[in-house]
Amino acid sequence: MIVPYSHVLILASIIFILGAACAVARRNLIMILVGVEIMLNAAALVFISASLFWQKLPGQAFVIFLFAVAAAEVATGLALIVHIQRRTGSVISDDYNHMKG
Amino acid sequence: MDIILLLMLLFPLAGAVLNAVSAGRLPRRLSGNVASMAVLGSLIMAIAGFILLGERTLVVSLVDWVSVENFSASFAFLYNPLAAIMALMVTFVSFLIHLYSVSFMREDKDYCRYFAYLNLFVFSMLVITLADNLLFFYLGWEGVGFCSYALIGFWYQDPEKAAAGRKAFVVTRIGDVAFGIAIALSFFLFGSLSLTYIYGHLGGLTQVSATVLGLLLLWGAMGKSAQLPLTVWLPDAMAGPTPVSALIHAATMVTAGAYLLIRLFPVVRLSPLALAAIAGVGALTTMYGSLSALGQRDIKKVLAYSTISQVGYMVLAVGAADIIGSMFHLLSHALFKSLLFMCAGYVIQALDDEHDIFRMGNLRRLLPHIYWPFLIGALCLSAFPMIGGFFSKDRILLATFLGPGIIYKVFWAMALLAAFLTPLYTFRMFFAVFQERPGGRSAEEIKPVPPFMAYILWPLAILAFCDGLLNLPFGPGKDWLARYFSVLAGAVVALPAPPGYELSMSVGSGAVILAVLLFTYVLYRPPGPKFSAPRLEAFLFEGLYLDKLYYSVFVVPYERLARFWWQTVDEGGIDRGLDGTAQLFAMLSRGLGYWATGRLSTYVKMLLVGLTVFFSALAVRWYLW
Amino acid sequence: MDLHFLLPVIVLLPLAASLTALATGREPRLCRWVSLTLAVVELALVILLFFLNLKPVAGPTGTWLMAVDYPWLPGVGAHFSLGLDGLSLMLIWLTAFVTVICILASWNAITEKVGSFHFFLLFLEGILMGLFLATDLLLFYLVWEFQLVPMFFLIGIWGHAKRLYASIKFMLFTFGGGLFMLLAVVALYILHGRQTGEYTFSLYQLAQTPLSPAVQGWLYAAFLLAFAIKIPLVPVHTWLPDVHTEAPTAGSVVLAGLLLKTGFYALFRFAFPLFPGAAGASMLLLVVLGLTGMFYAGWIALAQTDIKRLVAYSSIGHMGLMVVALGVWNVMTLSGSLLQLVNHGLSTSALFVMVGMLDERLDSRRFSDMGGLWQKMPVFGAFFLFFALSSLGLPGLNNFVGEILILIGAFQVRPVVGILAFVGVLLPVIYLLTMVQKSLFGEARKERRVWDVGPREILILVALALPVLFIGLHPGPILRLFESTLGHLMFQTPLLAQALGG
Repeated sequence: MIVPYSHVLILASIIFILGAACAVARRNLIMILVGVEIMLNAAALVFISASLFWQKLPGQAFVIFLFAVAAAEVATGLALIVHIQRRTGSVISDDYNHMKG
Repeated sequence: MDIILLLMLLFPLAGAVLNAVSAGRLPRRLSGNVASMAVLGSLIMAIAGFILLGERTLVVSLVDWVSVENFSASFAFLYNPLAAIMALMVTFVSFLIHLYSVSFMREDKDYCRYFAYLNLFVFSMLVITLADNLLFFYLGWEGVGFCSYALIGFWYQDPEKAAAGRKAFVVTRIGDVAFGIAIALSFFLFGSLSLTYIYGHLGGLTQVSATVLGLLLLWGAMGKSAQLPLTVWLPDAMAGPTPVSALIHAATMVTAGAYLLIRLFPVVRLSPLALAAIAGVGALTTMYGSLSALGQRDIKKVLAYSTISQVGYMVLAVGAADIIGSMFHLLSHALFKSLLFMCAGYVIQALDDEHDIFRMGNLRRLLPHIYWPFLIGALCLSAFPMIGGFFSKDRILLATFLGPGIIYKVFWAMALLAAFLTPLYTFRMFFAVFQERPGGRSAEEIKPVPPFMAYILWPLAILAFCDGLLNLPFGPGKDWLARYFSVLAGAVVALPAPPGYELSMSVGSGAVILAVLLFTYVLYRPPGPKFSAPRLEAFLFEGLYLDKLYYSVFVVPYERLARFWWQTVDEGGIDRGLDGTAQLFAMLSRGLGYWATGRLSTYVKMLLVGLTVFFSALAVRWYLW
Repeated sequence: MDLHFLLPVIVLLPLAASLTALATGREPRLCRWVSLTLAVVELALVILLFFLNLKPVAGPTGTWLMAVDYPWLPGVGAHFSLGLDGLSLMLIWLTAFVTVICILASWNAITEKVGSFHFFLLFLEGILMGLFLATDLLLFYLVWEFQLVPMFFLIGIWGHAKRLYASIKFMLFTFGGGLFMLLAVVALYILHGRQTGEYTFSLYQLAQTPLSPAVQGWLYAAFLLAFAIKIPLVPVHTWLPDVHTEAPTAGSVVLAGLLLKTGFYALFRFAFPLFPGAAGASMLLLVVLGLTGMFYAGWIALAQTDIKRLVAYSSIGHMGLMVVALGVWNVMTLSGSLLQLVNHGLSTSALFVMVGMLDERLDSRRFSDMGGLWQKMPVFGAFFLFFALSSLGLPGLNNFVGEILILIGAFQVRPVVGILAFVGVLLPVIYLLTMVQKSLFGEARKERRVWDVGPREILILVALALPVLFIGLHPGPILRLFESTLGHLMFQTPLLAQALGG
């Protein structure tokens, strides 16, 4: 491999943690989606490096799946966010607290 | 013979059921007559049984009642001379009282209920008289207790009268606790509850067992017979109609305790300690009764305390091992006391429900019909020489004097004192009621009373007067009753007195009684007693404050503690504690509820934390393994 | 002719009847008559069993007068097995009888949701039939917990002011205890399976499992807790007064007459044979708890101002005496206590029925609103006095026989306990006579309009009074019935006999 396997894993975990932090710490729904995207991409990175390490192809194939799923998910998510925003006029997650208690 | 005994019991039971079920639809006369005829039927059966029995002992076994393994209780009769005489007395006195009641209750609307209970009472009393099995005896025992409750509280509209009935039931039940334990102990010791069996198997009984059994039976008898310390219900029981007092609280129920002791005498006499205790209770009670009677104003209360005192004599006699004397006095007392009560009832009705003797007076002139029966009764009660209660009381005093040890002499002294007080309180009452006084009653205040109520008393008066003939200590019919009872175990026909004792005691007591009578006459001659001691009078009036003592020591704390247990312990303690546990859960739930903020960011954070913990645990596990 | 099908029919008929009641719910009059008819049919079926002259027969599920055994959940080893012996026969008779009484007593009192009411009542009857006949532990647990469901609704819908509090309290108490019992049942199941390789819930098989004392102790404690809550034993009794006060008449009658019996019955039928060693060790505890119940409840009953609460505490007192009988363990006391199951069922049901009648007339259960009732309602008064006397143990009436057997029997084996029990039996006299005093005697209040008992009510009261009188004077046949139960339990269950020294 070009870089040691462990380096890629470390990079991927850093990206994952950054994505998780973004998803958790941000109030804006779109930013939560962004965080989720980043986490997905980190996972994809792990798949590719593993595929390279173990010299097996299915890992890279799975990344294509991942892209498709991510795209679908973002589309659906954004559609929902737009719909919600139109109904209640806010994209702040904290405003949807009807399930309180 | 079986049929005779069975019919004797079933007649009054049928009368009771008939009256109960008809529920007031029968006309008054018919209801009263049915009840009286039922008791008449019993009386005829009792006479027939008495004649046919002779001097033997008969055991008649009917159905089985309860039996489990080796425990068996059945409806069985033990018909011996004792039972025969008792049955005769019970049925005869009951019959007269039923006839009297038909007149006495002539204006009461609840006559059906009255006669139903009265008949049921006779049934229960006959069960006591005849029963062979101790549990069957207990059935009759409780039966009379219940009927007494119902009849004392007959005029239930007055809550005090109803409360008097309840008091009677509860106090006698306190005695019955001991009787129940005695039954359990009997089964433990003998393996059977049949009196016949017990009589025949006394060999292995230890002194201690006999003493314990005797003392338990004494406590049981104390309840029903209103002996110290369980006397307090009897004065209150005067709240019931007067015929009830005559029947239940003079002739029958109160004597049931003495009867129990006599029936179980073969057991009791094995323990000198028990006998001494019995005698002690009897002696103390005679004194207590006489003293208290001296301070009463209510005519029925005088007679009530007098009954307590006289039943004390019966119990004392048992303690002195003279069951014949006890039965003799039982019979005498039944006759003259019920006579006195019925006379009192006549007077009370004539004066429109006046009970206070010091608001009477002049009645010799105004109610002539009742004067002589009342006088005869009073003389018998006072043990006027040669009449009525004289011979029976004398025999008891002699038996007590002859008892073993110095303690019996003390009992004799107490009984003697009570005997001297008896004419005092009796004639205090008599003079207050009948003598001519300026402050007495006048003719307009007299309400008409059916003369039948006075005429029916004459058979009773004559019998009471001649009662001494049953057991004269001299002459052709000498010791008839004693000889009749001689088949009973432990019966002593002729008391082992040194010669001359008997005569000197009789003459001595007779003389003192005459002296006391004279003294009373002088004291209570119009215009009335010349001295007064209010504190002493109050002390005697309140029955030596025994009732008040019980009230403050037992009744009040019991009720207070009941409330305490309920409110402080049950509701406050246990229930509050469990409710608190429930509250705890509610608080816990609310605490956890703070996590459910409804905010997405919180949930996402929790998801992240949870997943991190979960996966790191897995990783550590995997790594270590 | 093989009549074994009668047993499952007796259990299932009331369940079917409950559905018909629900179906006819729109027509209250039709619903009542249909329910009554089906309940009477059930009673007739049970009475038929008396006349079959059954003898004990040994079988795979033990020695019973009649037994059926159908596989139910084969994978788990649970069977639908029912077994009838003298004790269960009396109790199912009581169940059928009390249900008929309840339907009659609620005739005019329940006017809303009549269909649902009779549905729950008959459903409860079926469940109780199952309870008294079950010989499979899983089936037993199922019906044990299930008896709460109709009671919960009966109290919660048709009860008085604080009914929701009472029904939830009842549910929590009983269900909580039941959960511990479930734990013990499952533990026993597993232990037995491990030892013998056969996984079964059958009572007969499980009773033969040898268990170490420690394990037995825990399992027995779990069972005892569940049953102690039901009996109820002090100190887990506090649900009973509240539930009785808030329940409708039929609810109270079923509760006092039947549900309390289930606890005692289950102790006798399940806890003792399954865990003889631990049971033997707990005898002293049972005696102490029983005596405490008698004295404590009997004392408190006097201070009550609500007549239903008074009768509720009296129930606790009476059950206390029965538990003392169990703790003394002697043929006489056990016969007495089993008889008392029936007696108490009859007397207390009668008292609650009459209190219900009072409630219908006065709209109140407080003594301060009563007084002098005998004047306007003499027949009612007579019956009320009659049942109060039977409850306080007047000889000639039913409770006396059971009580005297227990008292004398206890004295033979443990005199001190016997003496204490004799004293304890004094307390009902005091509070029951006070109850009669405050309600029936005294001055009548003029402004109240009360009416005496009508034909339907007289029918109920006479129907209850006749067995009371009959058992009081002629208890022989019923005591005969219990002989086989006691013989089987005391002497043919070797572990128990061994634990108690025979």
